[in-house]
Amino acid sequence: MRLLLYISTILLLFSCSKKELGPQCVECDDDFTETELSDLLITNEGTFGWSNGSVSLYNPSTQNVSQNVFSQANSGNALGDVVQSITQIDNKAYIVINNSSKIEVVDINSFSSIATITGFTSPRYILPISTNKAYVTDLYSNSIQIVDLISNSISGSIALSGWTEELLLHNDTVYVCDVSNDNLLIINPNNNTLIDSVKLGVQPNSIVKDQNNKLWIMCDGGFNESNPKLIKFNPQTRTIESTFIFPSVSESPGNLKINATADHLYFINSNVYRMSINDISLPSSPLITSNSNVYYGLGIDPINEDVYVSDAIDYVQNGLVFRYSKSGNLIHQFNTGIIPGELLFIQ
Amino acid sequence: MKAFLFIAILVLSLWQTAFSQETKDTLTIKTVEVVAERIPEAYKTTEFDSSAINQSANLSELLQEHSPVFVKTYGSGALSTVSFRGTGASHTQVLWNDISLNSPMNGQIDFSLYPTLFFNNAELHHGASGLIDGNGALGGSVHLSNKTNYNKGLNVGLQQSIGSFNSYNTALKLGFSNKKWFTETQLYYNTSKNNFEYINIALQEEAATNQSNAALQQYGFQQAIYRKLKTGEIGARLWYFNSDRMLPPTMQASLNDENQQDESLRILLDWKGLAGNLQYKWVNALVKDQLIYTNKLANINSSSNSYSVNSKIITKYYLKNRFMLSNNVSVKYEAAKADGYNNEHNRTNYTWLLGLSKNFKRLNIDVFNRFAQIGENTQVFSPSIGVNYGFLKQKQLKLKANAGINYNYPTFNDLYWSPGGNVNLKPEHAEMAEFGISYDYKLKQTTMAIEATGFYSYVYDWVIWQPTSDNFWSPTNLKEVENKGVELSLRIKTNINKLKLMANANYSYTMSTNMKAKNEFDNAENKQLLYVPYHKMNYVVRAIIKGYTLSYNYNYTGKRFTSSDNNWYLPANFISDISLSKKFKTSNKTSFSASFKVNNLLDQDYQSIAWRPMPGRNYLGTLTFQFN
Repeated sequence: MRLLLYISTILLLFSCSKKELGPQCVECDDDFTETELSDLLITNEGTFGWSNGSVSLYNPSTQNVSQNVFSQANSGNALGDVVQSITQIDNKAYIVINNSSKIEVVDINSFSSIATITGFTSPRYILPISTNKAYVTDLYSNSIQIVDLISNSISGSIALSGWTEELLLHNDTVYVCDVSNDNLLIINPNNNTLIDSVKLGVQPNSIVKDQNNKLWIMCDGGFNESNPKLIKFNPQTRTIESTFIFPSVSESPGNLKINATADHLYFINSNVYRMSINDISLPSSPLITSNSNVYYGLGIDPINEDVYVSDAIDYVQNGLVFRYSKSGNLIHQFNTGIIPGELLFIQ
Repeated sequence: MKAFLFIAILVLSLWQTAFSQETKDTLTIKTVEVVAERIPEAYKTTEFDSSAINQSANLSELLQEHSPVFVKTYGSGALSTVSFRGTGASHTQVLWNDISLNSPMNGQIDFSLYPTLFFNNAELHHGASGLIDGNGALGGSVHLSNKTNYNKGLNVGLQQSIGSFNSYNTALKLGFSNKKWFTETQLYYNTSKNNFEYINIALQEEAATNQSNAALQQYGFQQAIYRKLKTGEIGARLWYFNSDRMLPPTMQASLNDENQQDESLRILLDWKGLAGNLQYKWVNALVKDQLIYTNKLANINSSSNSYSVNSKIITKYYLKNRFMLSNNVSVKYEAAKADGYNNEHNRTNYTWLLGLSKNFKRLNIDVFNRFAQIGENTQVFSPSIGVNYGFLKQKQLKLKANAGINYNYPTFNDLYWSPGGNVNLKPEHAEMAEFGISYDYKLKQTTMAIEATGFYSYVYDWVIWQPTSDNFWSPTNLKEVENKGVELSLRIKTNINKLKLMANANYSYTMSTNMKAKNEFDNAENKQLLYVPYHKMNYVVRAIIKGYTLSYNYNYTGKRFTSSDNNWYLPANFISDISLSKKFKTSNKTSFSASFKVNNLLDQDYQSIAWRPMPGRNYLGTLTFQFN
């Protein structure tokens, strides 16, 4: 009897409420109120399967940082993992969460949840096509999902084969990086059909459009499969205009971005490089040298062309973002969440 | 702090009440030991009593509930790895009758795949004592062993359990022995839908959710045949095990279609005995493992195969003046093939342990050195020294101290995985020391053993996989870790008239500190390692009277950090189990017993790993028939 008494005493020492069950934050401020125009949003992927993805917010003029913005705005809810990308569509942000197979739709200012679009397999990027329609690329589903932006649900799909990555709309035509088959897919969004596919280099991962309406596509070359290539593509003639071949097969460039005036390209290839769309060769020296950092994500401020580059450090702690001027001078650095990947400037 | 308060209360309660040995109500076949492989007393060991072994379904449960070792489990029936004294999953060696079962591919063991039915004894060798067992045990090692038993006639044990979530478990033990021969067969079948309900706190509106895609099925058998010799025995043992389980999604993921199948075959041939002052054992083993992983969503179907052939000679030679010479030689060939390798890889490992022990009246000194050649890698010197001294009349009070260096060699995955494998990796090595004090107390019907051990170890060249600028992950020897802490254990048994009472308690405090920053921005330096709790504690109390056994098991795991900068952690959890069983003697030779167990008595929601739900309160009923 006495024993039971002791046991119950011991048990009473511990009690636990529901919200205390999952991962707890030691130092997380409750400082988020709302976002402002020209703020920078950083998606933090989180570790695969660990559900620790998040969104950080940076104000370039005050240099204020808020972490876990989604969680703060939505009563502590976790975002999931892996937070692959974020896209602004009107006054909403669409946060694509790969392993959790969903897209969170939030108000771009308050960041409070508007809807969760589910039913994906492994979504990567979302592209608005019209006011009520968007495309979502996918790692595993062998298709592009068509999303109804009014009902926030999947309304259909375009069957493809393999992993589709970044995509872009130009002149009422959609251009998609087909990583698995080394193609650029060309889709007519009016009837959701694949019109054409053009062979690029091995593993195209990112695509941008320049001021002359030429498309630039980065192909990382796979793992020691072939030399990476930067390709300039003419969408009108559907032909490759020029190919820039990287010197080493072991390089793995990615994160191709373009400035607001669409005349300078930026990308990460260990270091950060900047190149004019009129250059005839790849830049020989980097804009920003990585030193001991492993650069992961890249963003270019549309207003002043400041360069933001992220470092995930060991991938299981808060990462950081370095802010450089377009001439490569460090302006500021700040912490983010775990594995900062995509950067979006609110417009 | 709570944990200390807790211990104080526990100790108090144990002093005032009293406890004792219980009768076994589960499947057991009595055994006789021919050669005892003992670790010198200078080293800390933890032996599991047979009731702890019998009450645990598998090795994962046994360690979690009855030892200071931290078990990291991805869910009920899912992958379980351990952290022993703050070290990593590949730093605990598991040996079965002296043969290492760790995978040559990743150095690890999935502790959920070792049903307790398949061994009679289990013992932990903490810290530097792992050196005596072999390479790799930077944290320690787990010894599983089987016993042989002659002239006992026929033994039959049949056990059927039915539990929550459509869980069924069937175990059969058949043993026969005469004066010269011993044979034993064990059959095991286990299946569970594992579709327990939990509150999904990841959902916008927290809702009861059924765990999906978590079903499992396991079966296996063990067959042994031994022949008694004049001063020893010779024989063979075969262990086959097959596991097929679905891998459930995290709370945050809505769909998952992953499956993992593991198949293992282990064959032992051993010969042991005594010749004059020489005690010897020669063991030969084949260990073969296959793992097939499929992910239908991602269209992945990968298989990994490994096998090893190991021959070991273990001898102890008793010299004059209470000197004892240990001489263990091992040759091991290991090979592995995986979809992640470009081709099959193999290596041959030679190790030689030489030890000298001297017993004085109250003082024992043991000195060891291990020579190892692992593939191309030669290590001439990895020593250990242990000293213990017995105080009081019967040496009830003992002081122990030891120190040593042990190496863990890179695994095939670390060396050859494509992309990323790094053939230039150095072995990890740990310098360790411990100091302990133990006290045994005996008074009439009461026995008590209490032990406190402080440990320290520093691991150099710890292998970590990190991303490179070329966008793939690669292992390097970049990490350094300092582990220090305390282990306390208490064992009490007592009889009060017809009531037998016993209690076992373990507590460990572990500081496992990352000592090296990757660069100036790395905030993981001087922080506790991921998923290593500072506090872990468990105890079991058991009361036996008139064939009834009441057991209560308590299990506390302190907070564990889930980010290397220690900004995120999982809160502590504390789980209680209770069971009641009754044994009916139906004749001289036959008996039945029935037991009912409530797991997670207080229906705690908890996560062992972030966002991986664990089952709430659940029930297990067991019927056992025994003939001997």
